[in-house]
Amino acid sequence: MTRLGIVVVALATVAAIVAPFFLKPYGIFLISTWAVLTIAAIGLNLTLGYAGQISLAQGAFVGIGAYTVALLMPLGVPFFLAFLAAGLLCFAVGWGLGYPALRVQHHYLAFVTLAFTTLVFLVLRNEQWLTNGIYGITGTPRPTILGWSTNSARDFYFFCLGILALLSLATWWMLRSPWGRAFVALRENPLRALSLGLDTRRYTLMAFAIGSSLGGLSGALYAPLVQFIEPNSFALGLSFNLLLMVIVGGSGNFFGPFVGALVAVLLPEWLRITQGYYLILYAAAIMVMMAFCPSGLLGLAERATKAFSGRRAGATTTVRTEGAGS
Amino acid sequence: MTAVLEVSNLRKAFGGVIAVDGVSFEVRQGEILGIIGPNGSGKSTLFNCVLGQLQPSAGEVRIDGQVTTGARPCDLNRLGVSRTFQLLQVFPQLSVRDNLILAGQEHQGTMASRLFGSADAGLGAAAAQMIEFFRLSHLAEEQAGSLSYGQQKLLDAAMAFMAGPRLVLLDEPAGGVNLTMLGNLRERLQAYHTEHKATFVVIEHQMEFVMALCTRVLVLAEGRLIAEGAPDEIRRNPIVIEAYLGH
Amino acid sequence: MASFIQLLVSGLATGAIYALIAVGFTLLWQTSQTINFAQGEFVMLPAFFVLAAMNVGAPFWLACLIGIALSIVILGVLFKLIIVDPMLKYGVLPLVISTIALSLFLKESAKDFYSSQAQPFPALVPATDIHFLDAVVSTQSLAVLAVAILTVAGLSILLNKTRLGRQMQATAQNPTLARILGIPVQRMVLYTFLLNAVLVAIASILVSPIYLAKFTNGETLGMAAFIAAIIGGFNQVRGAILGGLILGVLDNLSAAYISSQYRGAFPLIILIAVILLRPQGLLGRLEERTV
Repeated sequence: MTRLGIVVVALATVAAIVAPFFLKPYGIFLISTWAVLTIAAIGLNLTLGYAGQISLAQGAFVGIGAYTVALLMPLGVPFFLAFLAAGLLCFAVGWGLGYPALRVQHHYLAFVTLAFTTLVFLVLRNEQWLTNGIYGITGTPRPTILGWSTNSARDFYFFCLGILALLSLATWWMLRSPWGRAFVALRENPLRALSLGLDTRRYTLMAFAIGSSLGGLSGALYAPLVQFIEPNSFALGLSFNLLLMVIVGGSGNFFGPFVGALVAVLLPEWLRITQGYYLILYAAAIMVMMAFCPSGLLGLAERATKAFSGRRAGATTTVRTEGAGS
Repeated sequence: MTAVLEVSNLRKAFGGVIAVDGVSFEVRQGEILGIIGPNGSGKSTLFNCVLGQLQPSAGEVRIDGQVTTGARPCDLNRLGVSRTFQLLQVFPQLSVRDNLILAGQEHQGTMASRLFGSADAGLGAAAAQMIEFFRLSHLAEEQAGSLSYGQQKLLDAAMAFMAGPRLVLLDEPAGGVNLTMLGNLRERLQAYHTEHKATFVVIEHQMEFVMALCTRVLVLAEGRLIAEGAPDEIRRNPIVIEAYLGH
Repeated sequence: MASFIQLLVSGLATGAIYALIAVGFTLLWQTSQTINFAQGEFVMLPAFFVLAAMNVGAPFWLACLIGIALSIVILGVLFKLIIVDPMLKYGVLPLVISTIALSLFLKESAKDFYSSQAQPFPALVPATDIHFLDAVVSTQSLAVLAVAILTVAGLSILLNKTRLGRQMQATAQNPTLARILGIPVQRMVLYTFLLNAVLVAIASILVSPIYLAKFTNGETLGMAAFIAAIIGGFNQVRGAILGGLILGVLDNLSAAYISSQYRGAFPLIILIAVILLRPQGLLGRLEERTV
């Protein structure tokens, strides 16, 4: 990462830590939402940006995670276990969905996840005995960690921020390992990767399953954050929103989800003046962005910094001579 | 002694077009087999069928006696088969070193060991050796995309060799490379062959390259095998000459 | 038995509409690698064009023609020039994402610029019932079936019996070869977009009397198109037609025999089943592996 990048990240981290002290409860709610949705966006970024697959079910996985926690905790299950359960369940479901869908080409996963999202919504809405249907579930309690109650807005924000940091670190570590190299290969040239022994199907499936489980973990935090969940929150709209977050931030870029989620959370607030036309503007902006800068805001930033510094990032200037070896 | 590669009656049709029409041959351990033929004779299709990129319409492929017809390329790689590509296929955004580590990392260990093991999958030394062997040491940390064409060709070959394959299929390795580089490339391939007792199969257009490198040559025309023998015999074979002139 | 015939006929009618939508979708994919996620919204929109034309006084038949014309311009020409062409150089993924954004854009536009309420839409023929073999079949279903069948037949003749159609097919199956043969590939691709625009417009006019013109129609209709295309075999036009008909009939039958709460789930389950058991669809062939 460039020096400028490190500085920006450091500043942003500081801002994230001090922000709640300067914000009213609604503001703290917004940044908590940002932290929680970023987790889901990181997951989707893995699927889309690293493995190159379109998933329209990330919203559904958030929903599954949320309902898992909301249903388990009243039964006496401690938050920590419910949290893990949400993640594991979504990993398993993701694997189950992806396994057949990824055997075929043509972006079948996109259609399968589209269908899955609708199915999940129908189940959440209809199975009232389990999910309370359209009446939703209220009052999911915020956990107490080792004596520290996260009930207040500020405390819960820090809790979410902490989980976000942990999961980001885990993701970063995964991407630094040979898996990360494999994902790059998968994205850049799957044909070559195959001939080098890389099981593209296995890695793609793994990326999708992990991405989905991150969605579930995000949902596990979402339930105690909003403390009222109902099926409509997790319908196709959320999946679209998460997809757009990843794109706008910069798909395949590690920090893309952070930026994308910030935009998605703040934009409706800024565009309140447009009174609901904001979705049209948002969608139009996406189309324009795809035409001119498909690598998102961070891609734009990268281009801008390259233009200013006048050097191609990553490559030092060496004389390229034909004939390796003196 | 089992042949390293056995192809029996391989046939590949695309709709009405028969690209490969019942080709059979054997590759013995330690050989450098050249496959030549005019454009459209089916050489690349043959390769792709052997390597699992295409499903043959009929026929069988065996590696070390094991049937591998239609196996996925990644499974073949783990059996010790590797290839280079006609159109350059390095990973431009990764460094030269990372390209090589990638080329070797999937050949050993498991998914889990790759996740929890070291960042270079234990291949740091092997990659360094390979970089030395192909004389790319001064470019080790450069992005592969910034290398010259000839250097990328060397990297391509190096990647094919990273996993220590028993059988390497080279698809037009000399394509687009200038003469100096070509001599260099050929010399490095021969050196690898001698050192590691590997078996090569080479598709090539450039006659001089084939004649200098290969121990035995097959000639394909219109999907069929029309001649087989030592380079010198092939060069003088009237059928072969006609096949080339006829186009 | 009687109700079965009723369900079958209305199912075929719905299925024929699905077929039209699925065929357009498949053609776009075949000729230009465009996975049009906005296909459902493409079907939702022309109805609003028609209604708008009627609002300024045009009679229904004229409004329909205007609707089809606007569809050709906006959903055909503009779609290709403004969205597809600039995106193609980035590959399939950005284009798919653009069409996802487009679907959102069109849906919200219809909601904000026309109405969020469902609008009644005039039927092609006055709704009366015909009694046939003890069953009661609505003329509407028959009219829809007739128009859809005519359209599909016309499409078939176009694609198989005319020079233009064969050129379009060649372009769809192998653009490189087509170019070598001297076929103006870019123009053929444009024609495919125009053809899709016509098909969705017709589908829109046929389906809106039943569903009412509503900005949310795109979701279900789009999903139906994708499922029909996949059932039939993703890159086969005949498969899309077959898939559409099968989907329509099964959908209708399921509505009668399965709880209405899960009515929408049936096509989705069919989709998942097809992908699990026969991913190449009914008429498709297992593709050459490239990954």
